[in-house]
Amino acid sequence: MKRFIVAFIAAYIFIFFWGWLLNGVLLKDVYAQTQNLWRPQSETMSLFHWIIIGQALLVLAFVMIYASGFAGGGVAAGIRLGIMLEIAAIGMRLVLYAVQPFPGKLIVYGSVSGLIEMIIVGAIVGAIYKPASRTTT
Amino acid sequence: MNWKKFFIAFIAAWIFVFAFGFVWYGNLMHSIHNEVPTLWRTEADFGSHFRWLILGHGVMAFFLTLLYARFVTSRGAGAGAKLGIMVAFLYIGDNLITFAVQPLTTKILGGWIVGGLLEFAIAGAIVGAIYKPSSHTTT
Repeated sequence: MKRFIVAFIAAYIFIFFWGWLLNGVLLKDVYAQTQNLWRPQSETMSLFHWIIIGQALLVLAFVMIYASGFAGGGVAAGIRLGIMLEIAAIGMRLVLYAVQPFPGKLIVYGSVSGLIEMIIVGAIVGAIYKPASRTTT
Repeated sequence: MNWKKFFIAFIAAWIFVFAFGFVWYGNLMHSIHNEVPTLWRTEADFGSHFRWLILGHGVMAFFLTLLYARFVTSRGAGAGAKLGIMVAFLYIGDNLITFAVQPLTTKILGGWIVGGLLEFAIAGAIVGAIYKPSSHTTT
């Protein structure tokens, strides 16, 4: 349980700063081209707690999935899970692209950065989380 | 890996998530979505992007099936539903973030959360009910 919490916190800190760097800095200009799809910045700031809760839920679900079937595989297993979950998320992004007028490049940037993000999250969780040591050999 | 069962489970999950999306998001939530019309493509534009909708659902169904087939140790519809719910929580996290940055209404957010939970729990249960590993027992 202790390692579960440490893995969760470490992955959460990474995802929070990655999200800020990517969406708040690197992709700022791309978002500016589709202003009608986004809330004004002041409104987003007033709803910022939902970003924190959403990221926490996402990381919690990741660590839970890792702990329930991947634990013991270490960093490689974490990365593998990260890649699989991100490709599934790209599927969801494609569905959103079909219904919302996002520019294609935003989907591509989001998917590439999402892949990098989930690989690193997977590596962090895989490096930290170890199953409880009731050896069954 | 039992590829025949994997393929059947994947196709069944794909058909389900696509049909569920059509009924839940496309029909039941249609008027709720229309409260913010600027967020959505026009009918004609949506039609020309329809292939992405099919492909996106296929990718989601494929990786849900792959996760279950390769990494879930217990078997059956219950184990599949459990995996589906955990995967749904990833998407719900994403929905909450989207709510903070896009002008979605709380009704849309609520509909997406409930829909996501139902969709992935049932899709996971379908995969769990269909997929059986190859029969070289490892007990």
